[in-house]
Amino acid sequence: MSLFDRIIGITSIIVKQLLRDHRSIALIFIAPMIVMSLIGFSFQDQPETLNRTAPAIIATMSLVFVFMLTGVSFLRERLEGTLDRLLVTDTTKIELVFGYLFGFLLFALIQSTIILFFTVYVVSIDYSGRIIDAYIILIILTITSVSLGIFISTFAKNEFQIIQFIPVLISPQIFLSGIFISVEQLPWYFKPLSAIAPLTYANRALRNIMSGYKIEEVIIEIGVLLLFAFILLILAIMSIKRN
Amino acid sequence: MNKIGIKINSLNFNYGKKNILNDINLDINQGSIQGIIGPNGAGKSTLLNILVGRLKPTQGDIKILGNDLNINIVKNIGYMPQKNAIYANLNIYENVDFFARMHGLSDKKKRNEIVSQVIETVKLSEYKNQVVYKLSGGMKQRVSLAISLVHEPKILILDEPTVGLDPELRHDFWNNFINLSSKGITILLTTHTMDDAIHCNKLAYMKSGKIIVNKSPEKFLDKNKDIYSLEQAFLKLSK
Repeated sequence: MSLFDRIIGITSIIVKQLLRDHRSIALIFIAPMIVMSLIGFSFQDQPETLNRTAPAIIATMSLVFVFMLTGVSFLRERLEGTLDRLLVTDTTKIELVFGYLFGFLLFALIQSTIILFFTVYVVSIDYSGRIIDAYIILIILTITSVSLGIFISTFAKNEFQIIQFIPVLISPQIFLSGIFISVEQLPWYFKPLSAIAPLTYANRALRNIMSGYKIEEVIIEIGVLLLFAFILLILAIMSIKRN
Repeated sequence: MNKIGIKINSLNFNYGKKNILNDINLDINQGSIQGIIGPNGAGKSTLLNILVGRLKPTQGDIKILGNDLNINIVKNIGYMPQKNAIYANLNIYENVDFFARMHGLSDKKKRNEIVSQVIETVKLSEYKNQVVYKLSGGMKQRVSLAISLVHEPKILILDEPTVGLDPELRHDFWNNFINLSSKGITILLTTHTMDDAIHCNKLAYMKSGKIIVNKSPEKFLDKNKDIYSLEQAFLKLSK
């Protein structure tokens, strides 16, 4: 009873704090629509490019925003001393990570919903898959992203350093995951890097689902994504230590 | 015979090759207020950090209410760090309520009673719905103290609890501490302020990782040696 109560407690303070931070809320919900509009109108005459790019942008947005928000929030917990305080309560590291996970999952899913509907109905890309299948991919990607944010916050001393991890950890994934050119067209020496980027599998799975594939047809991508999520979740839990 | 709240025995702490704490021995009676004073770098905060489980001692042992110090014992200690360690975007009630919940108080009604009570203890009831980032420094410290009391600890460890407070607020804080100690709560605090030091039942002076002397504040004064105030006593000890 207490275990779930504590997870719900952590989730609720994540949600409350974020809801009161109006700029972050605006960033989460409006920025993706601006980016999506730019892409949509730029590739208006090239529906094939748009259909290939849009699913990848949805996954990338989800990864970037959740990573940033989790990284900064958790870093604050470390720097402000609230993490130390929490770790002398009955709260376990697992409860802490799951509390965070559910809090950000909520925002990530609202964000994904907005992007998804905006992309399908305003930008008008072709979408023939099941919406629920797209959510499954985005949920797994969010778990990866929250865990990555918590883990990386261990190596940052301030918020600026969290942002510095984006060009190191996220940007290469964007280039290597098949957004601009397909993974098959990448030079041979970049292919191994592409294979260890979670975004590669999220993009491929989401693109296939949005073009009409069934969930069982992207089971390999889901399996690899789950593996990434699991490894990063373990790393995140292990990285939580008292300062 | 007085019961011992905190017993520190032959405690040593090394950071790399540097010896930070050197053979610390301290018995703190249950329900008493023990102060630790000394120059910066004397090892005061390191000692507190060991007591709240943030650092592991290199040698020696610590007993809290007769039990060996471990994570389960640490959970029953109330700790007020130097930094306030509170959530700026939450209001006072939400902050205290959150930590009460994390301490396992899942019954909302019971939690509400305890949270309201500790907020009343630190005289913040009329501000309980105010968001923390809008509060003054002193009010934030009171929130921090309320959080450290919310699980009704028997041991309270306070790292410079009154730093930056105005005299009136400092007086209120000390009324709280004396009241808590009268209820049997053992308090260990560090301070740089003589106004705080004078209120302690016992005062330990630390220098270079050692406790040089530990006695009641009055015993630091010695008219024969022209020591009429604690400040004079500590200036003499620090030379």
